[in-house]
Amino acid sequence: MIGTGDGNGPSIKARRIEPADGNSSMFSRTDELHLRVQRLSLREQIERNHFLLVRLNAASARLIEALDHGDVFDAIAEIIANLIGSEEIAVFDYCPANQNFSLAWSWGVETDALQSFLCGAGMFNRAVQQGASQFRDRQPIATLLPYEKNLTACIILKSSREIAGVIAIFGLLPQKNNLEWADYELLKFLETYAAVALQFHRLQTKQTAP
Amino acid sequence: MRKILVVDDSYTARLVNRMIFSQKTNYVLVSAVDGKEAVERAKHEKPDLILMDIIMPRMTGLEACRVLKKDKETEKIPVILLTTRGEEQYVQEGYASGCSDYLTKPVNDAELLDLLKAYLGE
Repeated sequence: MIGTGDGNGPSIKARRIEPADGNSSMFSRTDELHLRVQRLSLREQIERNHFLLVRLNAASARLIEALDHGDVFDAIAEIIANLIGSEEIAVFDYCPANQNFSLAWSWGVETDALQSFLCGAGMFNRAVQQGASQFRDRQPIATLLPYEKNLTACIILKSSREIAGVIAIFGLLPQKNNLEWADYELLKFLETYAAVALQFHRLQTKQTAP
Repeated sequence: MRKILVVDDSYTARLVNRMIFSQKTNYVLVSAVDGKEAVERAKHEKPDLILMDIIMPRMTGLEACRVLKKDKETEKIPVILLTTRGEEQYVQEGYASGCSDYLTKPVNDAELLDLLKAYLGE
């Protein structure tokens, strides 16, 4: 019990705890500094997440706009160039029946060797086998095929649980050393929604074809 | 209130800037989609700062920057070039065109906001 309630004041007086000596005072200031650093770090985490959400929102809005304008490939390129940092992109269709990739669209990439190829043994193959996007930073691979040398990421495009294709991101911009946390999140978003947008685009093309 | 003219042919880039500035600052935002429109809007809107891409149709950011710096009406407006082109040649051309700062995409949003605040205040 702290207060007596009889008007005579508290039975136990609240005391301000003073530092016992100079060292304690120093320790307290260090603690305060430590807490401030922690607070700043947490704030930075929340802000980073906020900026990521803004980017995801913008990417989503751009894909929706692309459905109306019929420029889904351009939208994917724009998102990757502006928000991730690559201007070497190719989109491939995948045919599970014959395990063949065929080039659907590209930007900034030499495509002679990329028109059509079998799954092979490299990153494309692993993406198909595992049903998961592949990143050179995260899953280095020894058996890269000649056209995979400059490949940074192989993003799978799933349509109704089947792999319908991949977005291949080759070289990053010179000022971009590697993919970062927010990039992986954006690519995860593209994995699902670029696939849906491309499926929409194909249906629309089929419907409007003479 | 401070006004920024954002110039980019990429809808995604304009959208990200619009979202971030509207949520994190009180700046008024106007936009243009190429260098030619940027020059026209700069004369009309008199922005406090221009944030401009380089590779754009009709007129590049470098050309637009040169035009803006030659015009008495717009010469004092700071221009920040924000582009995917990080090569030294572009950086040098950027500063030669009269830009105040040169940033490369993908930009760190927090750093961009700090830079804008340094030019425009909170």
